[in-house]
Amino acid sequence: MPNSNFKGGLKIENPYPSNEIDLIRIPLPDKVVLPMQQRIGNQAIPCVSIGEHVLTGQIIATIDDDRCAPVHASISGTVTAIGNHVYAHQSGLKGLCVTIESDGKDEWVDTSIGCTENYKACLPLTIYDKIRISGIVGMGGAGFPTHTKMRLAAGCKNIIINATECEPGITCDAALMQAYPTKVIRGVEVLLHIIGAEKAIIAIEDDKQDSINELNKYCNNERIEIKVIPTKYTSGAEKILIKTLLGIQVPSGKFASDVGILCLNVATVVAMFDAVVENRPLISRAVTLAGSAIKEPKNFQVRLGATYDYLLSFVDLEEGSHKVTMAGLMMGINLKGTDYSVSKNTNCIFIDKAQESVVAQECIRCGMCNTVCPVELLPQQLYWFSKSENIEKAMDYNLLDCIECGCCSYVCPSNIPLVDYYQFSKALYKKQTQEKAQIEKARERFEFREMRLERNKSERAALMEAKKIALKEKMAKDRSQKEKIDAALERVNAAKIDNMEEDAS
Amino acid sequence: MRLWSELTLPKLIIWKKMQANFLNTNQIMRQVIYALVLGVGAQIYFFGLSVLIQILLGCITAVAAEAIFLRLRGQTIKPSISDGSAVLTAILLAISIPSIAPWWVIVLGVLFAIIFGKQIFGGLGNNPFNPAMLGYAFLLISYPLQMTQWPSEFISITHASETIFGLSSIDGLTGATKLDYVKTQLMMGASIKEIGSISVSQLWINIGFLVGGIYLLFRRVILWQIPISLLSGVVAMSSILFLMDSNHYASSIFHLLSGATMLAAFFIATDPVSASTTPLGRIIYGFLIGILIVIIRVYGGYPDAVAFAVLLLNITVPLIDFYTQPKVLGK
Repeated sequence: MPNSNFKGGLKIENPYPSNEIDLIRIPLPDKVVLPMQQRIGNQAIPCVSIGEHVLTGQIIATIDDDRCAPVHASISGTVTAIGNHVYAHQSGLKGLCVTIESDGKDEWVDTSIGCTENYKACLPLTIYDKIRISGIVGMGGAGFPTHTKMRLAAGCKNIIINATECEPGITCDAALMQAYPTKVIRGVEVLLHIIGAEKAIIAIEDDKQDSINELNKYCNNERIEIKVIPTKYTSGAEKILIKTLLGIQVPSGKFASDVGILCLNVATVVAMFDAVVENRPLISRAVTLAGSAIKEPKNFQVRLGATYDYLLSFVDLEEGSHKVTMAGLMMGINLKGTDYSVSKNTNCIFIDKAQESVVAQECIRCGMCNTVCPVELLPQQLYWFSKSENIEKAMDYNLLDCIECGCCSYVCPSNIPLVDYYQFSKALYKKQTQEKAQIEKARERFEFREMRLERNKSERAALMEAKKIALKEKMAKDRSQKEKIDAALERVNAAKIDNMEEDAS
Repeated sequence: MRLWSELTLPKLIIWKKMQANFLNTNQIMRQVIYALVLGVGAQIYFFGLSVLIQILLGCITAVAAEAIFLRLRGQTIKPSISDGSAVLTAILLAISIPSIAPWWVIVLGVLFAIIFGKQIFGGLGNNPFNPAMLGYAFLLISYPLQMTQWPSEFISITHASETIFGLSSIDGLTGATKLDYVKTQLMMGASIKEIGSISVSQLWINIGFLVGGIYLLFRRVILWQIPISLLSGVVAMSSILFLMDSNHYASSIFHLLSGATMLAAFFIATDPVSASTTPLGRIIYGFLIGILIVIIRVYGGYPDAVAFAVLLLNITVPLIDFYTQPKVLGK
């Protein structure tokens, strides 16, 4: 039975409360830097060259990979650079980016391909394709291409729209729902049509009363249910949300689509609606700007590729040294500086005053982490095995089921950054399995070579044998011939002797 | 792959940890020490201020031993000393031994607890055994005479300190604890009715620790599973014996309010480092300690059983933890 609740989790108050949530449109940026890499999958390959004039909505990079979506120009202007730029990732790795300088006109390319405005008359395949070429990816943070997700989920019975936004401090989804409640509802209707699902549930936490009211006002489809769930952190994690709403546990190592469920973020649904019905590819998104160094938290609808510095020029930023966090305070990442640009999965940028850091102490196995883990792991055991790099034992304790939500780190009285240890262990596990696979492959190759050499040897031996026999036969034949010749010669000689004797006589 | 030194806590967590109502490890240790005040107060009321001398001696030894060993292990001394765990171990041991025991008893006990109970395993968080109870077991086996001579009445501070430092002796004023007395009498064939009931001092000391323990439960410093299951274990085992023969076995109430039952339930068995960590595991762990306490008290050769019961269950913790893992979502 669905019980609207789950074990563990945390009630966390919003660290950056604001009086009102509003989606603010800001002027076009002068310059955008568009990253080619989107979370997982291959890097998209640019199909424009430096100096080329591009129009808004024009595809500037694409690749034939299911885990990657095309990238569109988010403003019209001139491509000024195609080169490496630091990505908003903890590693600080550089990756390929396309830089476009605006011409200030925002001229659009014709994007009305496939005439999906009247989506009910379209085949689902046509709409998938439309979603694919519109570059829609999961906008809650994962950045997984939506068309692939939908294709995998074809024939699903239930659709869940994740509007929980449980990470404390982020309000961009709430702002989006208040600004475009009809787009949300109609977007879900499009989804219901394509997937052919029986019903869709929009899950939303009970602290977003304004968004709930707006959605309720416009929802008159009995196949769409707006479900209000208690505000509790990690309610929005896919597997936990599914358990909360439907009482179904997604088996370990499987995905929602394996149990007949499609789970999409609400911002993704809006982006998909824009793409399918309004012929607008994904070129902008809502971003929350907040933090202790920002006076009033704000939500901006901003073109992709706009730089952080450009966004920050629209808020009151306090002077001083700052800490920059992207994608949330619990699960997000710390960035060095603000030299980054908004990508498809940038849901928030938090600028905080620099704090003194806390020192981790020894784990005293108090078990607070057990009580808050939403997937009911034993975090302190995992920590113990991760620390000693005992990966096998960590796997016994279900390391791979960890969703890295950070609840355990949050309550740890010894201030241990537990999730970092798990990420480390997972990386180590991956490396070890890869190495194991490589060793296995090398072994197979070696064994095959040995086998081949052996086979060659035996083949050669057989050949030699055959030759030998042939030679022997030949020799035998030769011998018999020689014998014949000898016999003949003897006969001749004998005849000669006879003749000589006759002559003599 | 990142290096350990680069590990960082997400910012909200740091932010939250700055808040006053959020306990960190040092505060947890301090809360436990505060919660001991009532029970220790009762001890002082009945036995005199000599309890404080023992605590002081224990604390000084503990901090010194910890500092020296941290130095030998090449660790930074200050953060580890200030976590309060060594002081807590010393206090727990000091209040478990007779308040007039000679000074070297507590010093040796604490040295053993800190060095062999904790530091050789790698310090706080790595010790498989409860250090205080390891120290207690060491003392009880090595110096049974000194460990069983409890003051039978209130002893003034001057008199007590003279005894502790070996300047005089107070033979006439010492004796075995009620628990020990009951056992000896029962062995000699007396029935429970003749021996009498719980001693007043034991009663109030146990009530003091009970109240302190309830405070810790409310502050969420300790979780409910171990204390409740331990007390249930004591009640279950003693009830079975009592129902079998009420003449020769003491009642549950006697076991609950005698010896170190309450201290064990709320302060010793709940030591998180050496206890089981899974929710079900904690219940099994506590319950078995409770049962063992009664069994060792009734059939064993020692006056109280907490130390041995706790140490025996410490050994089983990895096994208990492995078999009581909670069911992971989706498995």
